[in-house]
Amino acid sequence: MRRASSKVGEKLAPYVLLAPFLFTLIVFFGYAFVRVVYFSFTTYDLFSKPEWVGLKNYVNIFRDLDFTRAMKNSLTFMVVVTTAQTIIALLLALLLNQKVRGIRFFRAAYYMPSVASSVVVTLIFIWFFQRRGVLNFVITKFKEYQAIILLFLFAAAAIHIVLVVWEKLRRRPVSVFEPSFMFLGVLIGFIVAFGAVRFGFLVPREVPPVDIIWFNTTKTWPDFLGSLAFPIPLGAIMLFNIWTTAPTFMLLYLAGLQDIPRELYEAAAVDGAEGWHIILHIIAPQLKPITFLVVTMGLIGTLQMFDQVAILGSQAPRSSVITLAYYIYSNLFPSSAVPRVGMASAAAMFLALLTFIIVYAQRKVLGEEGENA
Amino acid sequence: MKRLSIALVVVLLVACAASAQHIRIGGFGGNDTVIVEEMIELFVRPALEGTGITVQYEPISDDFQRYIVNALSAGTAPDLFYMDIFWAGSLIRSGVVEPLDEYFAKSEVLKPEYFIPSLVEAFTYEGKIYGVPKDFNTLAVFYNKDLFDYAGVEYPSNDDTWDTFYAKLEKVAAIDPNIYGLALQPEFARFGALAYAAGFTPFNADGKTDLFDPAFVEAFKWYTGMAETGVGVMPQDISQGWGGGALASEQVAVALEGAWMVGAIKGDAPNMQYGTALMPKHPQTGQRGNLIFTVAWGMNAASPNKEAAFKVMEILTSEEVQQWVLERGLAIPSRQALADNPYFQQDHAEAQANYTVFLGASDGNVLPFHFGEYGGEWMDPINQALSAVMSKQATVEEALREAQAQLDALMGR
Repeated sequence: MRRASSKVGEKLAPYVLLAPFLFTLIVFFGYAFVRVVYFSFTTYDLFSKPEWVGLKNYVNIFRDLDFTRAMKNSLTFMVVVTTAQTIIALLLALLLNQKVRGIRFFRAAYYMPSVASSVVVTLIFIWFFQRRGVLNFVITKFKEYQAIILLFLFAAAAIHIVLVVWEKLRRRPVSVFEPSFMFLGVLIGFIVAFGAVRFGFLVPREVPPVDIIWFNTTKTWPDFLGSLAFPIPLGAIMLFNIWTTAPTFMLLYLAGLQDIPRELYEAAAVDGAEGWHIILHIIAPQLKPITFLVVTMGLIGTLQMFDQVAILGSQAPRSSVITLAYYIYSNLFPSSAVPRVGMASAAAMFLALLTFIIVYAQRKVLGEEGENA
Repeated sequence: MKRLSIALVVVLLVACAASAQHIRIGGFGGNDTVIVEEMIELFVRPALEGTGITVQYEPISDDFQRYIVNALSAGTAPDLFYMDIFWAGSLIRSGVVEPLDEYFAKSEVLKPEYFIPSLVEAFTYEGKIYGVPKDFNTLAVFYNKDLFDYAGVEYPSNDDTWDTFYAKLEKVAAIDPNIYGLALQPEFARFGALAYAAGFTPFNADGKTDLFDPAFVEAFKWYTGMAETGVGVMPQDISQGWGGGALASEQVAVALEGAWMVGAIKGDAPNMQYGTALMPKHPQTGQRGNLIFTVAWGMNAASPNKEAAFKVMEILTSEEVQQWVLERGLAIPSRQALADNPYFQQDHAEAQANYTVFLGASDGNVLPFHFGEYGGEWMDPINQALSAVMSKQATVEEALREAQAQLDALMGR
């Protein structure tokens, strides 16, 4: 008897322990979800009684030009940002996994953009991309000093190549990226460039200030993609989003890298593997579960991107930055008009379904391969 | 035990009594918190002494419109709340705001006739009045005296037409390439006043918007043309967020702003010598145009204490409260009787600015700042067109065609 009851207790225990979480999940997500499903089939303005209209909302959102724009923007955003942030996160992690003095400082520094509040970062970003902002200033300066910078790079590269070739010809074992040659190249390149300016062979060019309008434009880029090109303001948001989210994923990759057993590297070294071989055959397969996590989180996060569009507000044309999440919000709280809860709910249902399908497809491609390996 | 239960009963009774007569007031956060709290302390509480009515201000520092929509829908909204003309219509149409006509009929001190008619009109829907305007704002010409003196140009005056106004701006802008005449905020909230002066109305007889109305095109060309010639500049292009910021930076001689500019100058450019004039007249129509920005007190239709709430509203909109608000330089009163107020005749920039803004409401083609059921979505295409032309991304023709297409899509929805 006693045994039976303890068995029951054992079976119940996990549910009891899960109860607080389940409670919030059911109340704030489960209930809300059921309501949204219901509202998506009604017209409702928060005040009068919801009226059943069947699938009309779903038909209407696809007729709404804003919705198709939002969908296109969201999908472009998802593809570009997820790809870029995953690659950059991996590269950063590889870089920060080195044993270098003061590496902890760099790890913290690279993580800063992710720690700062999204609102604060977006405000900085708005200044950064202003018409007389930092970015346009830097581009202007670059254009002014273009010739000098090119001369410096060219001189540095030339010296380096000459030295490497010289050593190779003498059959000395020298790496293509020999650091001491690089240092010498940079030093001499600097002296050459400095001399050229000092003695007046080269002067900074006079160029009109660069006037790229990053936000307030309906232009798209790049032109050759035709209707697939993304609006420039969305591109600006992409750049910024990559910058702020890559470090978080870098942290995950860094943890993954430090979990790879040393023996694997040693065995590879014995087999004569180096550089790309190690990355391709040791690191990449070992990091597969993390890549899966990073890509999944990236996909979900990018599909739900909202805050940066909201803070940008009227600085950029709505059609150029609207995303699905923002579309939902702007239907729920249209500026000084009656809320369109039905439309917003239908769009929210669509976004949920889309997210589910994309993540599922991604699991099929990435996840199961990983399990087989 | 017994003592405890008695204490409990007493607490409950007190709570009941209080809640029966407790009036909650919802409004903006920030500056308004201090003003309304002080107003309640100085006027409302003394007047309500002995009636058992208690009052509490609940400032909302977040997006107020979103808050009030949610709160009214959820049944947690305050008894009295701010209603901005920009979005009041959507609440009124939803039936959550109490019509006030019956209360006016019974009241001895609060009658709609006491208020400026165009303000009351703005909150009237299907013949019923839904809000008592608490204050208002219009646009005026705010100018930097020093820049005009330096250029040796006469100050803008109430007699200026667009042509004479432009000539003055042009001379000021000629001082230096980095000095501009007018701050050209790319928004209908400023430019609209000029379009109205030329004779434009947001909705024509069929309820549609026609941006190719000659009046609109003329105003549009005049406004955006100043960016082209360098007589004016978009605030964004000199790293300022709005026209007022551009004026306070002293790189721009004139901004078209409301009485809120007085506080902004006090904060950002306290040493700037400034003056105000009425909006310039359109040279052909001879009319000025203006927008009325106003906030009213609205009453929650679901409030359990409507009579008490109206009593509080009577005090909040009384003459003595409005006089106090005016003298503190906080807002322009909505009561007609205060037009001849001695405050307005004082010889300092602040009082004159307030008086100019006050006069703006009743001179020429003046329309309240709201766009029917379309709200802010109506302005977006026009704002984009203004900005596109002034940043040289589109010609007037292209920009207006694009904006018209967007408006047609909005109205066809």
